[in-house]
Amino acid sequence: MATMHRVVQSSVRTSDATTTSYDGLTSCKAADIVISDQFPAGLRVLVVDDDITCLKILEQMLHRCSYHVTTCPQAKVALNLLRERKGCFDVILSDVYMPDMDGYKLLEHVGLEMDLPVIMMSADGSTRAVMKGIRHGACDYLIKPIREEELKNIWQHVVRKKWNENKELEHSGSLDDTDQHKQGHDDAEYASSVNDATDTSLKPLKKRSYSKEEDDGEIDNDDPSTSKKPRVVWSVELHQQFVSAVNQLGIDKAVPKRILELMNVPGLTRENVASHLQKFRLYLKRISGVAQQGGIANPLCGPVEANVKIGSLGSFNIQALAASGQIPPQTLAALHAELLGRPAGNLVVATDQPALLQATPQGPKCIQVDHGVAFVQHSVKSESSSSKHFSQYFAPVEDVASGFRSWPSNNIGTAGPSNSGGLSSQNGNMLIDLLQQQQQLQKPQQRSTVSELRRSINVQPSCHVVPSQSSASFRAGNSPVSVTQNGSYSRTAVIDYSLLSSQSNCPSLNIGQVSDVNLQTTGVLSGYIPPASVSPSVSSCSVNADNCASQQDQTSSMTFKASRRLPGFVHSTSNILDPYGSTKSGDLLNQEPFNNLGYINKGTCLPAEFAVDEFQSHLSSSSHGKVFSENIGTRVKQEPSMEFGDNAKVGIPMLQQFPPNDLMSVFTE
Amino acid sequence: MEVGQMQRRLVDYTKSLFMEGFLDAQFLQLQQLQDESNPDFVVEVVSLFFDDSEKLLNDLTMALDQPNVDFKKVDAHVHQLKGSSSSIGAQRVKNACIAFRSFCEEQNIDATLRCLQQVKQEYYLVKNKLETMLRLEQQIVAAGGSIPMIELGF
Repeated sequence: MATMHRVVQSSVRTSDATTTSYDGLTSCKAADIVISDQFPAGLRVLVVDDDITCLKILEQMLHRCSYHVTTCPQAKVALNLLRERKGCFDVILSDVYMPDMDGYKLLEHVGLEMDLPVIMMSADGSTRAVMKGIRHGACDYLIKPIREEELKNIWQHVVRKKWNENKELEHSGSLDDTDQHKQGHDDAEYASSVNDATDTSLKPLKKRSYSKEEDDGEIDNDDPSTSKKPRVVWSVELHQQFVSAVNQLGIDKAVPKRILELMNVPGLTRENVASHLQKFRLYLKRISGVAQQGGIANPLCGPVEANVKIGSLGSFNIQALAASGQIPPQTLAALHAELLGRPAGNLVVATDQPALLQATPQGPKCIQVDHGVAFVQHSVKSESSSSKHFSQYFAPVEDVASGFRSWPSNNIGTAGPSNSGGLSSQNGNMLIDLLQQQQQLQKPQQRSTVSELRRSINVQPSCHVVPSQSSASFRAGNSPVSVTQNGSYSRTAVIDYSLLSSQSNCPSLNIGQVSDVNLQTTGVLSGYIPPASVSPSVSSCSVNADNCASQQDQTSSMTFKASRRLPGFVHSTSNILDPYGSTKSGDLLNQEPFNNLGYINKGTCLPAEFAVDEFQSHLSSSSHGKVFSENIGTRVKQEPSMEFGDNAKVGIPMLQQFPPNDLMSVFTE
Repeated sequence: MEVGQMQRRLVDYTKSLFMEGFLDAQFLQLQQLQDESNPDFVVEVVSLFFDDSEKLLNDLTMALDQPNVDFKKVDAHVHQLKGSSSSIGAQRVKNACIAFRSFCEEQNIDATLRCLQQVKQEYYLVKNKLETMLRLEQQIVAAGGSIPMIELGF
């Protein structure tokens, strides 16, 4: 521990220049690499290795290459860090054999969630191991001991990837190709939307290969025809439309072309839909896969699989899941968060339920999760690289609520752990605490809405979400984090990708819960802290909530605290609307309930009016209130640093703004 | 002893470590990584290595002491030790680990126990040598001298 701490510290402190600092996430650009004159100097590298000795050596070598280095001895923490700070890294170096998570798994996650080149390292240089790495999508495989010269060259992978991406962007025409490609990959374990630029010839083998089209291209809805084909931002509405189209067609019959036709969105291309569909399918698969994973710490998750019917995913019916009570709220939240997490504010909102999330395309989006389900929607603006991140999951947010259900009403106002047993038992770490807090803040009626929300949100949690009766629990104020500051609040649910992982970790969800028809925002944030061991917090928490301003500072303080910090999962730093957007990924899933809800405020605060109305229209069933994520300008998202793990709970400094909120209390435990 | 003399002693000593195979070129890399911005780099890394290895050796001892030895776990530990020893340049330890792993695959208890002994022995040897070397360096620095760069004709 001490060494880890030290390492972390050193990585933070060394390089004033080189080590990534957790504060100015805003400055992180979305995946774009700035090719400056000094390139490759300043390349931002994340090193993940459980061997502290190696970590230190690599760090020094990378410094010598003038790179920015961030070290991380634990894979889970690294993943969280990556999720939070989407645009802050250019390349990842990861060891293969690690105790908390297999390096290949990390590789897959990164490929799936973030489009970053990953280089594997190992003392095992056997052909078999190297081949495995390539198959999983590694850009390169270095054999330890690693020499400095080898590290000097890692920038080539970054550049290659970028260029290939750009090339594909220009390509818009080969649909069939990609389609097929995608189909082919559908069965691939981890199809990632990441372009794997490294080896086109191996595309079929690579996980990431199929993503070529810029499914993640952000297309501003208002500007669909830029010559450069901006990435599509799958906003909540858009996703909602997508989901309805898919439902209409039936998940099995849903082909991009038909979906596109049904959606009838100007400026959306078939490729966009195709890639989104791909991701979606993966997501579904993952959900079901996760449900089945034994790894899910949460016992509740176990049965999930039974309920997770991929088949019914077409309609994203998490309710079913929820009903089974299997899905821990956190998972749902996480799912939701994921959905919402899309930086572009892609909120994945339940198809038929009125997605409580509302993401307005403008700047920060606040997702108002009406029913307690907070979706973290960060209004991630295009700039945040996170956009890419979430595009993958647009999980049917059907029943996020269910996820939240379990959140005990305690959360309202009570300290985090107080979260209703339901949740807490499950995930502990969810931001649910926060949500609950929020809930408390809100008026009682909000709670109910929240619960409704939950119900409506069909979140297919990749992690186990134990859906409890949706409404009921919600009322109880389970909503994980309902941040209701000043009544309005947009929370962006940040879905911890950890949800996606099959591990039991509960993804940290930032679920901003905006509940209430009258725009009360009940932010439900579920910060999920994946059960993974908490490693020294990656300062990812430092997500900058620019918008939220105040909170940011705190987050940074959170980082590097003793090992237990789980970096909040900040989804998109830049645009997290919700004040509490923070998901802390911790491995708390199995830990104390809500201990670790961490909200990571990601960047942006939601603008005051979150187009709730718009959102409403999208919601098919708007039965559940609206989720309004009001801007929580006042609320700053903080990333609560949560300590997961055995015990520590890190109080989350966030939400200072919340006056009477007792948010902090949520985390106090 | 005056600085020049100490420096010569250090150089000879270090060279011998390389000659005898205790250290390999990777250690040289480490030394080269040390600079003004990181003046204690070698000491820090070596200390980390010591801490890590002692822990691993303990874990290994315990794992092999079980009635039902979990070879996968043993192998994982050895792999880790192999990785860190190779990163630091502790060649003999690394080689002992390689042999250790092959016996783990065979699940040969006796052989693995012997290997463990071997690894421990190599580890303590190199630890001793490194500590001596670092002490010499410290003395030189304390006396106002600088650490000479080792030129090894590999």
